[in-house]
Amino acid sequence: MASVITANNLTIAYDKGKNIVIDSSTFSIEQGEFVFITGLSGSGKSTLLKSMYGQIKPQSGSLLVGGLDMKKIKKGQLLQLRRNIGIIFQDYKLINEWTVEKNVVLPLIITGYNLDVQRVQAEKLLSHVKLSDSANKYPLELSGGEQQRVGVARALSKNPFLILADEPTGNLDEFSSGVVWDLLENASGQLNATVIVVTHKIPTIFNLPYRHFIIENGGVHEVH
Amino acid sequence: MFILPLMAMLIGVEFILLFNRITTSYEDKLKSDYAILVISKKELSTPLLRSYSDRVDSVESMNREDIAKEVTAGIQDAGMVAFLKGLPYFYRVHLTEYISLEELKKVQSNLKKIKDVLTVEIFGENYHSKHTMFRLVKMILNIFIVMLFIVSIFLVIKQMEVWQLAHKNRMQIMEVFGAPIMLRSGILFKIAFIDAIIATILNIGIFIYLKVTWAKKSDIDFIKENQDLLINVSDYFILFFTAFVIVLVSVLFVAVKSSEVPEG
Ligand SMILES: Nc1ncnc2c1ncn2[C@@H]1O[C@H](COP(=O)(O)OP(=O)(O)OP(=O)(O)O)[C@@H](O)[C@H]1O
Ligand SMILES: [Mg+2]
Repeated sequence: MASVITANNLTIAYDKGKNIVIDSSTFSIEQGEFVFITGLSGSGKSTLLKSMYGQIKPQSGSLLVGGLDMKKIKKGQLLQLRRNIGIIFQDYKLINEWTVEKNVVLPLIITGYNLDVQRVQAEKLLSHVKLSDSANKYPLELSGGEQQRVGVARALSKNPFLILADEPTGNLDEFSSGVVWDLLENASGQLNATVIVVTHKIPTIFNLPYRHFIIENGGVHEVH
Repeated sequence: MFILPLMAMLIGVEFILLFNRITTSYEDKLKSDYAILVISKKELSTPLLRSYSDRVDSVESMNREDIAKEVTAGIQDAGMVAFLKGLPYFYRVHLTEYISLEELKKVQSNLKKIKDVLTVEIFGENYHSKHTMFRLVKMILNIFIVMLFIVSIFLVIKQMEVWQLAHKNRMQIMEVFGAPIMLRSGILFKIAFIDAIIATILNIGIFIYLKVTWAKKSDIDFIKENQDLLINVSDYFILFFTAFVIVLVSVLFVAVKSSEVPEG
């Protein structure tokens, strides 16, 4: 199995190295695995995810994502890599001046798929997240749970090899959470995507084998 | 709305073009109105005068009979012939450039070196005051243009900050999903280009309006005579090109500033 994420003595810091968040951690994540990352608030969960999509560069050690060295990666390569990663944010990060449908197919727009492909894919995904009736609404006309389901649909729209989710169900009720977990399970189980989810609570009903990392005092430890 | 700062800039550009034309045209007029008076015992040729000063452009010989007639009104023809014999030759010497008084004095002393030349009159006082006035007007216009430019640059920067605020969020989300810079700033480009076209057209409109109404009715002869200087077809392209470049630079600047990942 190919490694999707390989961290070797990975150190991540803010403020030019003064504020070390992840300290010399080594781990690897394989294709198709489902990984939960937990830890106290401020422990560095979001920071670790950010390093995986190149929003912050490793301070020292190494981090490979899809075989690319995140320390040396060029901007063009990084954008290319991101087109194949689906990212889900706790605060959704939808484009409020775009319709729900257009938000969902943002990754397809970026890759340059034509309108027909976009429409077909949007319809399919919106029915998966149970928002078929909201295609032409704008994000601010939806509830938080609905907005997050749009965010999930967007992350899945291009069948990414890697899905990174930061507290995807943090603000959601049971129904929306259920939809989100189902979709993520499906992405991993059926589509063999690697899914990495930061959460403060691992769902009680979860149907796939998964790995569990805890971030503590800057270390990334696996719970067995 | 990017139109206002763009228009200010374009007006500045059009003023530069305009002032350049006006000053060149005014300079030409001053130059052609002005001539040095050279009085000589013998006939002089243009090449000879040129060999003494390379500022000499054209030489006009004044009709001696006309001069003689004025002076000798009422004298018989025979007397006239005698008078003409003794009368020196008069020349109006035009110069290649509108030069300063010091340079003019140099030309004067050079021409005086020619054998047979009696007098070289440069009308220095008059020339000097006109020349100084001309320089002054030119300087004031240049200061005005510079100020207009500074103001419009501030307006453009302010506008870019507004844009930055309005579009940053969308551009950052698109960047997270891997959109290249051209795609991220595509909508801005669209808005900005439409603004550039509108601003250019409005600007051309204003100057054409000035040309056909204000300049035509003007009491100032110079403006009336030179209304064609106000705007011409080649300006349209210069203005549009300028607007285009300003827009391109501004949008890219905003896009790069909104990026969370350094270029490279
Ligand atoms: N942009 C930043 N600049 C400087 N320091 C930061 C920045 N972002 C986060 N930090 C610091 O890094 C540490 C880890 O932050 P991070 O957001 O990764 O925590 P987290 O585990 O995601 O917490 P939470 O569960 O509350 O979301 C915190 O101490 C935080 O203050
Ligand atoms: Mg966080």
